[in-house]
Amino acid sequence: MSSRTHSEPPRLTVGTVRTGLLRHSSAVSRELAIRLLRLVPSEHVAWSARPRAYAVSPELLTGVDCPLPSRNGSRVRGVGTLASRATITGGRILQSSAHTTVVRAERSYRQPWSHYLARPGVVEAIGKPNFQDIADGFTADDRGFRGIETTIIADRAMDLVQASRLLDGKRPFAAPRTTLHWAFETPPSEGAAESGRLTFVIVNDELRTLRLAANTASLGTVLDFCEDLALHDWLLSTLLTLIDRAGFGQDDWTRVTNRIRPTVDHLLHLWWPGARVPEEFMPFWDSLDKRLGFKQQWEMSVNRIRDQLALGTLLTMLGSLENGTEKHESPLPRSAPFRAPADSP
Amino acid sequence: MGQTVKVPDTDFEVVTARPRIASVPLSHLSVELGHLYMEDFGRGPGVLTEHFGRVRPLFEELRERASARWGGRPRISTCFLIDDYFSQLREPAELIPELLAAAAEAGVTVDYVARESGCAHTGAISPAEIALGRLVSDPPPGTDGSRPPTLETGWLSNGEREHHSDINEAMTGLRPWSPPRENGARMHSIYVDVELWHEHTGKRVWSCAYLAAVWQLLRLGVLRDQGSPLVTPEPWDEGRPYPRDWSDLPPVVKVNPRAQPFCAFRTYTFLDTRFLPTEAAVRVILSQISLDPAVRELTERRAREEKIELPPELVTRISHVFSDAL
Repeated sequence: MSSRTHSEPPRLTVGTVRTGLLRHSSAVSRELAIRLLRLVPSEHVAWSARPRAYAVSPELLTGVDCPLPSRNGSRVRGVGTLASRATITGGRILQSSAHTTVVRAERSYRQPWSHYLARPGVVEAIGKPNFQDIADGFTADDRGFRGIETTIIADRAMDLVQASRLLDGKRPFAAPRTTLHWAFETPPSEGAAESGRLTFVIVNDELRTLRLAANTASLGTVLDFCEDLALHDWLLSTLLTLIDRAGFGQDDWTRVTNRIRPTVDHLLHLWWPGARVPEEFMPFWDSLDKRLGFKQQWEMSVNRIRDQLALGTLLTMLGSLENGTEKHESPLPRSAPFRAPADSP
Repeated sequence: MGQTVKVPDTDFEVVTARPRIASVPLSHLSVELGHLYMEDFGRGPGVLTEHFGRVRPLFEELRERASARWGGRPRISTCFLIDDYFSQLREPAELIPELLAAAAEAGVTVDYVARESGCAHTGAISPAEIALGRLVSDPPPGTDGSRPPTLETGWLSNGEREHHSDINEAMTGLRPWSPPRENGARMHSIYVDVELWHEHTGKRVWSCAYLAAVWQLLRLGVLRDQGSPLVTPEPWDEGRPYPRDWSDLPPVVKVNPRAQPFCAFRTYTFLDTRFLPTEAAVRVILSQISLDPAVRELTERRAREEKIELPPELVTRISHVFSDAL
């Protein structure tokens, strides 16, 4: 990471990432992704094919003039814009995010609107902003006081894409829309390690909060990191939900297989932690993973699915063999109690 | 956290394809040598000669000040916009030569002639629509993003509209009426509400004020469609006859072969005072236009390279001089 510099004034950026499944029966092509993400008609949609398909919309701006987030109840007025964007990963996962960087206003009154449009994605705090308090309020799990409605603004970008007539509206499976509220501070406040600080909280099934502080800091890097984290968290949550719903060991193999198959068709290949995270931010990923065991849990779940599918296939084959030779009319054996393949014949 | 994980230096970059933003040639200053309604052209060539006669000393003074500011011979181009969108009383074949002759007689050179309908559409592209997609409306105090911007269809304001009571409110005495309010008013409001368009027999008719705002954006060279400029001036050889239909004329015609670039870092516009309300509306509109970030970056870089001071606020890149007499 770059060395600590004191020349730049401290900055706080807050944002929300929403993650969900594109309302479409199959993965969309690059061409379709580009058409879907044309949220500003005259601007380019950027895309890359590697390490996996990814497309990102131009940024939309939303004007605000309201009290800033706060934990302790101070109501500092903020005026400026939020930038929002939508991305499609692997032709399948739709994310939208809204964020803004809070800076201290140079004047004690609201300036003409053109002033704020010349600083897109920045909200100026009129009065004395306390960055800690703003970040605390924004990432508070008991809702604190969020002030700016980043979730609604992010949702608006997501809804614009989901409402497109180019989508067939048929999701292969029901998936949650998860939320990550994040706050990024640079440079880290006193007391933080030289390499930065990260706090990740799983508030409930659908909500996570992230506090991040680092010396290095292009906003693009932070945004990519937050979206990457939200994406993998969503993948893992969705996979666990699908495994849970599939009823391993509780139902007919064919039905279990049918329920779990969408994960293979649509999700498993999308796992690539850090795919869009620059090297300098990878230590955050690794450290987070060490604590939460993201990758391990993913691998275990994937192995479980593969074992079940392999077993299912084997049992189906054996079943048809039995059916063919001995004309059994009974349905395939239920999975529970478990029978090892070697015992089956 | 706390420890930086030591890794070998391995840089990687995910190249995200983003087609290039085309650069357009830029002058220091684009000067509009006045504006006339189509019916003014019907009052004979004397009106034009008198018009340019009044503009000439203002233009010369401006040129001197530009030289003093940027040194040497700054790149200045002049233009004249003809209002063919709302009426077409005269045809280009007749009107343009008359206009150029009157300017020459008064001692000013018109470099570019443009038609106003070109701001509405140029072929399949509509500069007006593209600019509309770049509007980010000025939020009244209390706006937290929870509701989509309250855009009355086809209208844009600099504040909050007046509020009329319904019967219930009147009976309970709550908020019987509240006046309109300018956002960011210091003490008192100057509330402006601009009609951008209306529908006429199923067709969208852009307002004069809105097209005038688009015209400023075209002169500033800041509009793009997927990276490409919307308007490229077409050279017009001296002696080549002008068409009889306005639609056969390119949106911007370069009538002076030695002209400096049409687009410029800043614009200057000379107008009669009767156009003041229109231009106040233009400023309200331009105050709510957000630039394509790639275009902003490109223009700012070029200004830095040429050591030209460029205000980040779009609306402060345009200036007006209003004058009727002398």
